[in-house]
Amino acid sequence: MKEDIDFSLEACHARIERWQPRLNAFIAREMLAAGKSSGPLAGMPMAHKDMFYRAGKFSNCGSKILKGWVASYTSAALERLDAAGAMQIGTLGMAEFAYNPTGHNQHWGDCCNAWNPDYIAGGSSSGSGAAVAARLVWGALGSDTGGSVRIPAAVNGITGLKTTWGRVSRHGAMPLAHSLDTVGPLARSAEDCGQMFEVIAGYDERDSITSREPVGDFRKVAKLSLTISTAWIEKHVEPEVAAAVLAAAKELRAAGLNVKEAEAPDFEALSVQCSTILSTEASAQHLPWMRTRPQDYGSAVRARLDAGYAVPATAYIEALRLRGPWLDRFCATTLASADAYLLPTMTLRVPTRAETGPGGADSACLLPEITRLTRWVNYLGLPALVLPCGFDSRGLPISMQIVGRPFAEATVLAAGHAYQGRTDWHQRVPTL
Amino acid sequence: MSLDNAKQWTAEAVEAALASQGVTPGSGRAAKIAAAMNLPKPPDAVRDALPFEVDATSYAAAVRRSQKP
Repeated sequence: MKEDIDFSLEACHARIERWQPRLNAFIAREMLAAGKSSGPLAGMPMAHKDMFYRAGKFSNCGSKILKGWVASYTSAALERLDAAGAMQIGTLGMAEFAYNPTGHNQHWGDCCNAWNPDYIAGGSSSGSGAAVAARLVWGALGSDTGGSVRIPAAVNGITGLKTTWGRVSRHGAMPLAHSLDTVGPLARSAEDCGQMFEVIAGYDERDSITSREPVGDFRKVAKLSLTISTAWIEKHVEPEVAAAVLAAAKELRAAGLNVKEAEAPDFEALSVQCSTILSTEASAQHLPWMRTRPQDYGSAVRARLDAGYAVPATAYIEALRLRGPWLDRFCATTLASADAYLLPTMTLRVPTRAETGPGGADSACLLPEITRLTRWVNYLGLPALVLPCGFDSRGLPISMQIVGRPFAEATVLAAGHAYQGRTDWHQRVPTL
Repeated sequence: MSLDNAKQWTAEAVEAALASQGVTPGSGRAAKIAAAMNLPKPPDAVRDALPFEVDATSYAAAVRRSQKP
């Protein structure tokens, strides 16, 4: 079905009424920001992951521990969206404390894939992915520490931007792992993500890592060059996914982009380093509650947090020491003289909820595989745009990922915008 | 006990490490964590060639260097 969507408030509410029982995307439906008649996002109906604080309102963070917790201040990203005129019509479901890539949630119920509820909605920004895909809202905020914007965007067939570490203020956003945490938009297209990104990006004195680097204008980026590792994709990626991504590379060449072959990064080594940082920082963040309320965590999250306390401090420091040299190596060997690197978002097709859930026979193998091609990007701190590039034989979306240099969001948005100007995957909408 | 065996994590060692931080692992978790910790690390070409002088602050300089092709 092609896109012809009415984003009036009434139309969004009507769609939410119909879709919510199937998706479980919304946590709360409430007019949290009324929007304005002027501004770059004037009147655009949005809802956001339930971890962006708003003064006087609940932020449950997908958890039992913070259920009913009321924030005393408003997050920087929400402040900027408010100032740009956007509406916020509710909060969206997420993995518990943003610490799961599938969309399962023991406390608030699973969020389901917009194309087929038997399949995962992805995590941790589960509701953001499903709600945008079903056009319940125009756009949504998510957070990405190991793939949490990109996986939900990918499996729901929408566009998502993982921003450079330090590009968007995390003030008032629930922390998971401070060396990796980023905030980014999920929307229908690269153009819509770009509009949201331009509003939320920029220096904020309340988040000491934010940068003053210019944001750039993706509409004015020209002469793009990409690299791709075709042999690696053909060897390691499920055939339907590989075929779609390689076809997308052809389409980008036809659009005038220079797409060259390059050596794939060492995804395994990079993922190990990312996981070391993620697990230790998350476990440190949760130490007070893990001492006093461990039974109030879901079993999967508690298991991951337990593991973080056994990682030696030397392994954590080593992972941080290796970060700069690994970034240098990626730029020298994989990007070379190019602007960005093209690869699938996931090596596999969208998994089912049953096979990835707490009792799923394959969950131990599948969970790391889901983030195999996303975690390394957080470790290097790079921006990445994910966008749909096809559908598999079961009718589930296939997604590709364009990874750029630090602070080059405009580049990856421009590449995605060029692709979406020639294809209509991003305009396809699920039906009930 | 051989040196290799001495390097192996056990469920008891994991429980002790967590207990020292005031954390009690979930049922059966310590053994699973020990097993995971005992898996060989994948090769890492950058780690194996890491100069002695490199510290974590080198990342900021790498970000600056990487912004332009």
